[in-house]
Amino acid sequence: MTINKTLNENKLTVGIGGRLDTVTAPELEKELNDSLEGITDLVLDISELDYISSAGLRVLLSAQKTMNKQGSMTVTGANEAIMEIFDVTGFVDLLNIQ
Amino acid sequence: MSMIKIEHLRKEYPNVTPLKDVCVEINKGDVISVIGPSGTGKSTLLRCLNQLEEPTSGTVTIDGQVITDPKCNISLVRRKMGMVFQSFNLFSNLNIIENVMSAPVNLLKTPKEQAYKEGMELLKRVGLAEKAENYPDELSGGQKQRVAIARAIAMHPEIILFDEPTSALDPTMVGEVLSVIRSLAKEGMTMMIVTHEMKFARDVSNRVFYMDEGGIYEDGTPEQIFDNPTKEKTRIFIKRLKLLTLEITSENFDFIGSISQIEQFGRDNMIAPKMLRNLELAFEELLTQNILSESKRSGELLPASVTIEHSETDDTASMSITYGGPSYDPFVNEDDLSVTIVRKLAAEVSHSYDGKNNVTLKFSR
Ligand SMILES: Nc1ncnc2c1ncn2[C@@H]1O[C@H](COP(=O)(O)OP(=O)(O)OP(=O)(O)O)[C@@H](O)[C@H]1O
Ligand SMILES: [Mg+2]
Repeated sequence: MTINKTLNENKLTVGIGGRLDTVTAPELEKELNDSLEGITDLVLDISELDYISSAGLRVLLSAQKTMNKQGSMTVTGANEAIMEIFDVTGFVDLLNIQ
Repeated sequence: MSMIKIEHLRKEYPNVTPLKDVCVEINKGDVISVIGPSGTGKSTLLRCLNQLEEPTSGTVTIDGQVITDPKCNISLVRRKMGMVFQSFNLFSNLNIIENVMSAPVNLLKTPKEQAYKEGMELLKRVGLAEKAENYPDELSGGQKQRVAIARAIAMHPEIILFDEPTSALDPTMVGEVLSVIRSLAKEGMTMMIVTHEMKFARDVSNRVFYMDEGGIYEDGTPEQIFDNPTKEKTRIFIKRLKLLTLEITSENFDFIGSISQIEQFGRDNMIAPKMLRNLELAFEELLTQNILSESKRSGELLPASVTIEHSETDDTASMSITYGGPSYDPFVNEDDLSVTIVRKLAAEVSHSYDGKNNVTLKFSR
């Protein structure tokens, strides 16, 4: 998994690439926990993400919950395979996907 | 009534025993296709039947006569069993009609005139009457094989044994030979045909022998063998299955290594990306997120064994997971995210318990 962060005042863009699975999800979780303070606009750019499992979905959901309290979160660039997982799990309704 | 009875047939060579203990009965009118991987004794079985090879032990009885008995008249046996080889084996110094007549005249003492008349009839049946005066070298492979078949029928055998009759032929000539065999089947000729032509085997035969592990590993109708093979090796052969097995002995198993093995397996077998992704997800969701955490929570379920199968013929895949402990159905918690993902992506999921837990997932495109 690769993580690329770009901070622009209160807007944080996090590019996530590769695999978001049982092994890598805790890394992303820690990364987000450490950087969301004061952020009002979080963008998760997953255009480079190839694979996501429930472990990854849980991290996205927890980030969404945090952002609900302090601003907003959008998920961008999901490929077809990832979209299918968002679909079958109902995450299309839980996340703001663009 | 069974026409040929094979009992405890065994053939040992110095380094290998292709036939360990073959017991089977062949009925009059049976058309049997013999299939199986290379080296599993298909040719050896045919050669032991017509005594081209001497079996190490066991008996072959034809019409009540024990032909494996040393006192048995071997040429009588050969008359009862015609044989058609991959390589035709025609007499190159005799013309076509002479090839067909020679055995009836020399062995059956049929008068020449009658043998000629019958021979011409047979050549007509295989569509080669106008080649009667030609020599084998002047014929195509398919024509030579049709002559070989006519020559076998000329002896009025009880059964004809074919050993890969089309394997040496140019693909354009396979059809003409198969159609001759097909018409013999319609006329009720008893035949045993070693073949790699699966569609032909399915169409023409009423029985299929799948050979493996030193004998007839599975014997059934074409529907049983081709559509619903019950035994493991038959399934692997018929469905051209490729297998990957992963043994999970500890909760701290090498997840990354396992995933890369699954990905390698997918590349090696050209599994479509989406199907491969589903297999990876099933592995991760069921194993790490579900079965292993249950194992940690409520006691040992390990070791677990995961087998992934991919069928090249119908492009389906399945994953079966077996593990120990008490009965634990990983799909029981329907609200669980992992369970949802697996249920939605798999075409079929099931759990059963028979002293071990067995979970099976099926995937189709
Ligand atoms: N004359 C022989 N001497 C020693 N070993 C032999 C002999 N004939 C066959 N074998 C061995 O017996 C085994 C079975 O051979 P056989 O020719 O019956 O296989 P098969 O099923 O017909 O294979 P294929 O599909 O390649 O024709 C092989 O391991 C082969 O090497
Ligand atoms: Mg052979």
